[in-house]
Amino acid sequence: MSDVMRALVDQVAQAHESCTPLRIVGGGTWLTAGRPCSGDTLPVGEHRGAVEYTPGDLTITVRAGTTLRELHETTAVNGQWLGLDPAAHAGANIGATIATAADGPLSVSMGRVRDLVLGLECITGRGEVIRAGGRVVKNVAGFDLVRLQTGAWGTLGVITEATLRLRALPEEDRTFVVATDQRAALESVLAPLVNLPVAPLAMELVNGALASTLGLPASLCLLVRLGGNSARIGGEQGLLGVLGDVSEVERPVFDALQSCEPLGAMVAQVSHMPTLISTTWRHIVDHCSAHQIWQPMLRASLARGMVRMVIPPDAYAHMDDEALHRFVRLLAPPGAHVSWQQLPTKGWTQVPSSVADRLSVGIRRALDPERILNRGLLGEPDGDAAVHAVRATGASA
Amino acid sequence: MHTVSAPSLSHAAAITPQIVQALTQIVGDRWLKTRHAELTAYDADGLPGYRAMPSVVVLPGSRDEVCAVVRLLAQHGIPYVPRGAGTGLSGGALADGIVVIGLNRLTRIHRIDAGNRLAHVEPGVVNAWLTRAVAPYGLYYAPDPSSQAACTIGGNVAENAGGPHCLKYGVTLNHVAALTVCLPDGELVTLGSPVGEVDGYDLCGLFVGSEGCFGIATDIWVRLLPIPQSVHTLLADFHSVQDAARAVSAIIATGIVPAALEMMDQATIRAVEASIYAAGYPIDAAAVLLAEVDGLTIGLDADVRAIEECCRAAGARSVRIATAADDRARLWQGRKKAFGALGRIAPHLVVQDAVVPRTQLPAVLAQIHEIGTRHRVNVCNVFHAGDGNLHPNISYDANDPGQSERVHLAMREIMQACIDAGGTITGEHGVGLDKLGYMDTLFTEPSLAAMCAVREVFDPERRSNPGKVVPVHACREWTSKGRT
Repeated sequence: MSDVMRALVDQVAQAHESCTPLRIVGGGTWLTAGRPCSGDTLPVGEHRGAVEYTPGDLTITVRAGTTLRELHETTAVNGQWLGLDPAAHAGANIGATIATAADGPLSVSMGRVRDLVLGLECITGRGEVIRAGGRVVKNVAGFDLVRLQTGAWGTLGVITEATLRLRALPEEDRTFVVATDQRAALESVLAPLVNLPVAPLAMELVNGALASTLGLPASLCLLVRLGGNSARIGGEQGLLGVLGDVSEVERPVFDALQSCEPLGAMVAQVSHMPTLISTTWRHIVDHCSAHQIWQPMLRASLARGMVRMVIPPDAYAHMDDEALHRFVRLLAPPGAHVSWQQLPTKGWTQVPSSVADRLSVGIRRALDPERILNRGLLGEPDGDAAVHAVRATGASA
Repeated sequence: MHTVSAPSLSHAAAITPQIVQALTQIVGDRWLKTRHAELTAYDADGLPGYRAMPSVVVLPGSRDEVCAVVRLLAQHGIPYVPRGAGTGLSGGALADGIVVIGLNRLTRIHRIDAGNRLAHVEPGVVNAWLTRAVAPYGLYYAPDPSSQAACTIGGNVAENAGGPHCLKYGVTLNHVAALTVCLPDGELVTLGSPVGEVDGYDLCGLFVGSEGCFGIATDIWVRLLPIPQSVHTLLADFHSVQDAARAVSAIIATGIVPAALEMMDQATIRAVEASIYAAGYPIDAAAVLLAEVDGLTIGLDADVRAIEECCRAAGARSVRIATAADDRARLWQGRKKAFGALGRIAPHLVVQDAVVPRTQLPAVLAQIHEIGTRHRVNVCNVFHAGDGNLHPNISYDANDPGQSERVHLAMREIMQACIDAGGTITGEHGVGLDKLGYMDTLFTEPSLAAMCAVREVFDPERRSNPGKVVPVHACREWTSKGRT
């Protein structure tokens, strides 16, 4: 065990003994996400670098503080990549990316974060080091604690090391913009896509406000990233023509999509059935308009049925507390799920916790009994309420 | 032949005539099996050489009946084993003296939502039926374990089943959107969501592959995929396993993700060609590689040529390419029927399952050959080369104690070799009973203890499929550490 790792384990173990809350901090780029959360800083950012990388295995094991940029550079040398493009600074580290299960447009072809993480090392809230999963691409040995830790925002363990699935870079990787008919209804714009035999690396519907931020004409368009051999890309490019005018752009448009979200923005992902994407999109546009938010940056993953909404700080500065509460509470169209990622502190009071159910409370209690790790970040019930919830349903002996 | 010793169930109450009567009231007389002759149908699964006789088999016909049965058993502290088709290969469905809850009557496909590529099914739906049912919509269900003609979606969820095509499409886990689960105390909860993406801990992902220890999935929402426009299958044969393994690495390095990349060694080829499943594989080849690419028609020819070139550069003697469905089926026949062909050689066939990093394949295959020779057992390898998922198989007579002993020794050494190579003990068959003894080698004590602690959240009394997956002593150590 390295000195840095030893220090992390000791700090967590001591915090467990003294019931001291810890705030896990890696690159510090994600601290504005999630609910307000305080505690003694547990610095994992210096725990970085590759532990094992055999390119022929298409897997890499890295320490949690390794940045996405470092991962990109290390793998690119061998003609490989980690197909993960969250809306995050390139200096964001892999530990936080996994903890927040943050993914991006590539998820439709590469899988979501949970599909890319093969193994994890974590420090539980008891100060014990556990390993889950492994270093191979297929593994069903034991209960899947990798899935459990991914997206748990550090509340079930401090991620210290991860093994990730890589892919070989495609022969070609090109990006196209499809300009849509601005007068047509969204449904008719998207209708031809349903049976269009294209399988892009990524495809996002982008509204005018976001498009102009990306340096594109300020109108609704489709961003399509195609990968593979040139025959395939040429064929797919031709097929996209039924949707509108297709023009090739520099691939950094997708990179810009990752880094264009302003600090202090309100960010939410709203998801529903893919067939209802137009309804979901329109509901969000209308909801924003009703609150005098005229320029939300919107993009949608059609395959996931998910809209990502980013509202820059100056676009919502006019809202008082009551308006903000109403905006947060009523964002979701009927039947949809909203995942708030960034909000002003006062907005979080309107967002119910997603880990208040009996099973989630029990799991937190099993892995972090004193709730020292990122306490409050997921709005989980406080200590007494948590114990009550478990006892009431008999989940604890 | 081994009989399974009962896991530690000192807290388990006896199944009294009153309980039997109460179960009968829930499911009806016809769906409760208590006679010895009836119970023998449930005394084994796909793991050869192991038998365990349940005391009662109950076959509920609906979600409500499942919950009523589970609640009744909870009230009396009685352990149970959920069971699908019983095709599992790790002994996970074995039940010694306790209740089996058979889910084969739950065969309804509630809804096919073609637009959203989603199906809502009951756990007893057979894997291949689902693909047949959604085919008219131009869709299919991707996970395709070898037993897909018999195994159930519920069993696939419990085991996180894979198959030849998971190289490109992933295992069961990657295709389950949501589950409704009857917890061991009878409470019904929904994990994940069939509509949109939910926040919170990934309890649905955690449940998949929990081998019946977290409860019974009564409703399963699975994702479907569009049937690929075109499929090409290549069969290459090689002078040596090493050459074939080099071809695998070269193909993967191109960036092309084949739908499947399967290898068979000479022992398997010969068994196949000597059987009624003969597929015309060259019996003097040291290995054959079966590669499949699928997807959009445009550009697929170029991928096929690239793969052919990789095979030839690695020393392939010949490469056959098939595009028409009949021709492709013929190339696949030997692979799909390999287990059947191996099963003809001797009364029993143990199908092992381990995964190693892809670059370790040649070295580990050489080690397996050496281990087999030393223990005088005939190891045949047929496996998912693309993801390093090995299936070393041994045909033998489980009724011959000497032979059984040698097979077990050889298998233990093979598993250890895979672990030492940085691999794992199971890629798709599960731990069940068979791999329980390896868990201590693979995981540290705190890691196993964490698994136990998570299991206890779902099943504090450890009544659902007791004694499987995590060694009981690991849980005891955790408990004795003092849960506050």
